[in-house]
Amino acid sequence: MDLIRFYVRKLFTVLKNEVIVLPSRVVVVVFFLFLLLLPVFTNNQYTLRIFTLTCIFAILAASWDLLSGFTGQINFGHALFFGVGAYAAAMSNLHVHLPPWASIPLGGLVAVLAGLIIGIPCLRLRGTYLALTTLAFPIILMGFVFAFPDLTGGELGISGIERIARSRVTNYYIVAGLMFGLCTIMWKITDSNTGIIFHAIREDELAVRASGVNTTRYKLLAFCLSGFFAGIAGGLYAHFMRIAGPSTLEVSMSFLVVIWAVFGGVATIYGPVGAVFILFPLLEFLRFWQEYRTLMFACVLIVILLYMPDGLFPWLRDKIETECPRCKIRNIATRTVCRVCSASLE
Amino acid sequence: MGEAFLEVMGLNKQFGGLKAVNDVNFSVAREEILGLIGPNGAGKTTLVRLITGILKADSGSILFKKREITGKKTWDIVNRGIACTFQNMRPFRRLPIIANVMVSCLSPRAMKRGEWVKRIEAKAMDALEFAGISDMALEDASTLSQGDLKRLEVARAIATEPELLILDEPFGGLSPAETELMAKSIHRLHKGGRFGRLHSEGPAMIIIEHKLQQLMKIADRIIVLNFGTIIADGTPVEIVNNSKVIEAYLGEGEI
Ligand SMILES: Nc1ncnc2c1ncn2[C@@H]1O[C@H](COP(=O)(O)OP(=O)(O)O)[C@@H](O)[C@H]1O
Ligand SMILES: [Mg+2]
Repeated sequence: MDLIRFYVRKLFTVLKNEVIVLPSRVVVVVFFLFLLLLPVFTNNQYTLRIFTLTCIFAILAASWDLLSGFTGQINFGHALFFGVGAYAAAMSNLHVHLPPWASIPLGGLVAVLAGLIIGIPCLRLRGTYLALTTLAFPIILMGFVFAFPDLTGGELGISGIERIARSRVTNYYIVAGLMFGLCTIMWKITDSNTGIIFHAIREDELAVRASGVNTTRYKLLAFCLSGFFAGIAGGLYAHFMRIAGPSTLEVSMSFLVVIWAVFGGVATIYGPVGAVFILFPLLEFLRFWQEYRTLMFACVLIVILLYMPDGLFPWLRDKIETECPRCKIRNIATRTVCRVCSASLE
Repeated sequence: MGEAFLEVMGLNKQFGGLKAVNDVNFSVAREEILGLIGPNGAGKTTLVRLITGILKADSGSILFKKREITGKKTWDIVNRGIACTFQNMRPFRRLPIIANVMVSCLSPRAMKRGEWVKRIEAKAMDALEFAGISDMALEDASTLSQGDLKRLEVARAIATEPELLILDEPFGGLSPAETELMAKSIHRLHKGGRFGRLHSEGPAMIIIEHKLQQLMKIADRIIVLNFGTIIADGTPVEIVNNSKVIEAYLGEGEI
């Protein structure tokens, strides 16, 4: 009993000292509670299904950011990892009868392999050439899918895959939990020493090499890590939709990922995740406005790009928080002195 | 002169029809500060880029500690103990200054040598302190002045704990006061002991300058490059009185 009381008190202290002080942390906690309580408030299968898909695409968008946002290796063919993950999970489930908890990580691993295979030729390329080359890879793979319909199901894809779990609510919780966990891992990676090198590679690759760091290795690492997380997203998608089809490899899928990330703010991880949570449900719920949907989508996007070139979420964050000029700690925008070093924030 | 530490033999590099580096031979001893001067466009920067593997030489060979380093990758050469700075500074502008230096601290060479310093940040801070910009460690590199950017370049280079440090125009664009400070830092670094406590010997150095003046005091020996070829090699006093050198600088006013 004492132990419980101790932890409850500790939780309150952490909430008071670490969370309440920064609006962005409050937002993360509210977001977490929203995900946690969503099935309590709604039993609507349609809503749950949309938010499950949203979580899956949030992983995908964050994994693009890990590669392209951080290391600057702009990947216009991110659907490759997603599709490879989906097909690998589907095939291993259908033919080898691997359960989802094994086939989904397997999808991630096969996508790592794909990351290596496309990463090696892409190491020599930069900028536009890199973007165009990466764009081609999912198209090539789609060619293979159509060329061997016996193995891949061709146009129809592979169907009849096992569900992740029996009930929709369990499905939702598993996917949402994974989304939270994987995105935290990605954020931790970008916050680590490896993340600093990723950042530096985007800024000036030659200078990184002149600092004695093997940039080739780090770029490949970025391709593999990104592939892994995107592959897991693909595996989850296959098991959730119970089908892995060529739509996972489509060019529009690759572009959607880029749009989400740019909308939310690249090189942040939280930006693309937030963007998916706004754009994907919005697009779905606007379904009854079919004709205007794409038009509105395009308008919103242009407005964001024009007025918030760093993306929506970094812009919002700068509105509600200010950085202390002395100690670089973030403070709520209404404060006049820094909460740590008491420097003036004016 | 001690035995050769860095040995450059018959080095050539052409850009189109332009011979930027033309059959260059020289060597640097372990305990030496070598000055490298020459008019603008003489090929000094190109020579550095050949040594550090940023550019590939057309022919010739470079030995470092008796090992061939010609054609090796830049990061490999840096990990063998040669560090260089960029003449036109290349900081990671959107990273904090300390993160700029942490990249160097994360190179295999720096990691291996600094086991006793647990935190990478502490090591990076050491390098910044040495260069004299530790008070700005948390600012973005884009906020630095010209002179401080030069210091950041030096901090980044020494963070890899080099045995041979190549500085490309460390005084370029600095005020006289800043120049004085920088020259002092360089001298102190060469004497060793202060930075990279594992080896108390300071690094050998090649300092590139446009003008001879600043090098007179710190360099042990000076070589002069013009149109990609070495036209003189000797002590600072010999160089000032060399007629070929005076001729090469004729169009430029003072040496
Ligand atoms: N990447 C390059 N491509 C073509 N020409 C170059 C390149 N780099 C340098 N040069 C030329 O080589 C010559 C030597 O340049 P550089 O080594 O920068 O001279 P310095 O550093 O002595 O002023 C110059 O004429 C310059 O125009
Ligand atoms: Mg130069």
